[in-house]
Amino acid sequence: MSSRDYILKRAKANKPEAIALPKIDVSVFDDSRNILSEFTLKVETAGGNVFEATSDDDVISKVKSMFPDGKVNFSTLKHTKNFNTLNIEKINKPHDLEDLDVLVLESSFGVAENGAIWVADSQLPMRVLPFIAKHLVLVLNKDSIVTFMHQAYKKLSSNDTDFGVFISGPSKTADIEQSLVIGAHGALSLSVFLKEN
Amino acid sequence: MSHSKAATIFNKDEKKVNWHDKALWFVRHKRDKSAHSVKGWEELRNLGHGIKAHTLSNLDTYLIQFEENAIKNGVQVHWAADADEHNKIVQSILKAHNAKKVVKSKSMLTEECHLNPFLEANDIEVIDTDLGERIVQLAKEPPSHIVLPAIHKKKEEVDVLFQEHLGTKPCDGDPQYLTGEARKHLREKFIQADAAITGVNFAVADTGGFVVCTNEGNADMGVHLAPVHIACMGIEKLIPKQEHLGVFLRLLGRSATGQHITTYSSHFKKPRNGAKMHIVIVDNGRTEQLSRPDFRASLHCIRCGACMNTCPIYRRSGGHSYDSTIPGPIGSILSPGKDLKKHSTLPFASTLCGSCSDVCPVKIDIHTQLYKWRQIITKETPQPFIKKTSMKMMGNIFSKPSQFDKVGKVARWSLRNLPKGMINSKPNVWGKARDLPLGPKESFEDWYKKRNKDEQ
Amino acid sequence: MKVGLFIPCYINQLYPQVGKATLELLERLNVDVMYPLGQTCCGQPMANSGYEYESVGSCNNFVSNFKDFDYIVTPSGSCAYHVKKHYDIIPQTDDVVKVRENVYELCDFILNVLKVKNVGAKFPYKVGIHKSCHGLRGLRLGSCSEKVTEAYSYIGELLKEVSGTEVIELTRADECCGFGGTFAVTEEAISVKMGKDRIKDHLDNGVEVITATDTSCLMHLEGLVTRNKQPLKILHIAEILNSVN
Repeated sequence: MSSRDYILKRAKANKPEAIALPKIDVSVFDDSRNILSEFTLKVETAGGNVFEATSDDDVISKVKSMFPDGKVNFSTLKHTKNFNTLNIEKINKPHDLEDLDVLVLESSFGVAENGAIWVADSQLPMRVLPFIAKHLVLVLNKDSIVTFMHQAYKKLSSNDTDFGVFISGPSKTADIEQSLVIGAHGALSLSVFLKEN
Repeated sequence: MSHSKAATIFNKDEKKVNWHDKALWFVRHKRDKSAHSVKGWEELRNLGHGIKAHTLSNLDTYLIQFEENAIKNGVQVHWAADADEHNKIVQSILKAHNAKKVVKSKSMLTEECHLNPFLEANDIEVIDTDLGERIVQLAKEPPSHIVLPAIHKKKEEVDVLFQEHLGTKPCDGDPQYLTGEARKHLREKFIQADAAITGVNFAVADTGGFVVCTNEGNADMGVHLAPVHIACMGIEKLIPKQEHLGVFLRLLGRSATGQHITTYSSHFKKPRNGAKMHIVIVDNGRTEQLSRPDFRASLHCIRCGACMNTCPIYRRSGGHSYDSTIPGPIGSILSPGKDLKKHSTLPFASTLCGSCSDVCPVKIDIHTQLYKWRQIITKETPQPFIKKTSMKMMGNIFSKPSQFDKVGKVARWSLRNLPKGMINSKPNVWGKARDLPLGPKESFEDWYKKRNKDEQ
Repeated sequence: MKVGLFIPCYINQLYPQVGKATLELLERLNVDVMYPLGQTCCGQPMANSGYEYESVGSCNNFVSNFKDFDYIVTPSGSCAYHVKKHYDIIPQTDDVVKVRENVYELCDFILNVLKVKNVGAKFPYKVGIHKSCHGLRGLRLGSCSEKVTEAYSYIGELLKEVSGTEVIELTRADECCGFGGTFAVTEEAISVKMGKDRIKDHLDNGVEVITATDTSCLMHLEGLVTRNKQPLKILHIAEILNSVN
């Protein structure tokens, strides 16, 4: 018997009688907190910063002044070609992104309860981008923020992503004596821009 | 070595015990703060428990569904009945891709299977990329905690270790500097890697996708650079639907470190263009545990480590005292299922205080299972003669009130009249650091009888 | 309402004063209480050590002693919990079911059955409550720090009404003291360390008297306090609630 069949046979023989799947009632979690201020608080708790912006141009000009030393920059925002110092289409392998200083990405939504921001394949020319960049900037619309993860997955149920990631704050570790250090393997900083629609 | 022996050795350095206890209590405290900020936390735990129980009760069906969808997604699926087969599968995948250098993000399953030594013996370099795991790898030690692998190490020890292996400068254990140097060191490894191995936090049956959670970003750095991604998962990692991730991602980070969610919750479904993705589904004793009604709920575990942080024994004995891949309370109910004799002291390394069960995000009745393992261990493994006979004696004495009365009288007389040196002599382990109460002249029952007589 | 007083084995032999205080307190609250003779042990020491089957005689003796009472009251959360939780090893006759349903820890009984909050006691000291685990997380005699529920504590509510008593908050509200039955000797090093840490928490916060719903925890803590000559008094909650003069 193959291991597959062996495992499946045993799982079937050894499982308990059917137990019903519980339903998720989101209303029990309602805490009537203000979505925007909760989101901002949670991004900051996770080590990120939240800014407001009026337009993509506004984002780019603010990013430029925040990272004046950025030599290699890339943005997926529309009409920001003059910010980009690399042509993503000419990058052959993800390894060539190693020197990326500042990356600006659009996101379709964020989650208030934990400051997580969804970044998916559709917004990512290359998957490694948000992890390999030194400084990550995420841009999203104010009204795209949902309260809990439950609503986040409702949004995701309709789109079929091959890869996606919730990002909450910059990369971090506390593996040495529980001292928090920002910037482990991924981004050293996370800046979030909230746009009015 | 028994847990109590290892714990006694750990307790020789009381200052270190205090430090270890405090470090973990700090994590437990952060967990409290963040869990208590969630309205409906207990309902969330009920859901976590219920979804896992439901999944186990349909495990074969969900496994088949998961496999089907994963294959549709272009992922190759492998099945391993035990650790040995798992290791061989991983090796054969690496061989097929001619991979010699591997980066690995945290996976307790690959620890359980002892994958690293197996691959190293086959001339493959495996680098653990989680900082804590890299530290213990360099120190040639197993992790002492499932979320904080190097929690037993002082920063000064890490300093010395990095000087030796990474050529860092002495820094008095400055975590910022040491982490920065580890980043540089591991960045090189990421860039050179031929393959990336990750664990799986949750595998979703109805999409064939899976989620990997890290704070450092090491899983993603490995996977998105290397041409091959191998994800290793136990069969119990399954959940039915993507929407159920909403429940588990709310519970996991908060229970583990007090973060409202881990920094990166990466959802993998299809390999990136030009790359390959493999999933290895492993049993290694899990279907056996599934067959035990009293213990199957231990398979609900989402590996958050909260039971370790809260356990007053774990905090004061260190993870290595458990001598098993998964230490602490959850390890003490999982390990006996794998090797009852080897792990026979673990279910006794508890006061049954119940803190583990109440902190558990998926409501595993850990302390009840500890109690139940005890009943099995005393029957199925050799017990010290003295323990066995004294329990039998106690059982007899307590069955008959007249005998209890006699024995009680003798005990009270002895406590009252024997010299302290004799009472606290070596066979009385209690008396090593604690006094016994003074033996009162009359028992409660004696007093009660007398009082009733006087009243008449 | 016929109430049977259940006095655990070690209280009977080593801490009769706790039994007396419990009885006097209940009588003062006008409870029709009696102590059935011939009590031994609930069976917990054997069962928690993995020898449930050696405890069957104890369980049977317990049931035959208490089967005719409306309520069974005991100054031990741990023993009450054992009867409730683990008496499924003997056949579930009507008597066994009744006994398991009606066994109460003392504070729980006073507060929730008698519905009395103020027992008229006077105890002018700074008191630290050691929240014994089996009562807390087994019988739910109070909220525990792990769960997200409303805060409550039966022992705390009763103590609040005691004249002169100041209840002291601890740094770790409900950590185990490390007694744990045979754990106290099989894992001696950890058991002692846990006890020492618990005592330090009380001392650091200015406690004068440690109290609890369980004498077993207190015996362990008292053993350490006496050995190390620490300035603390150890009293069972029944002794405090019975302090009328």
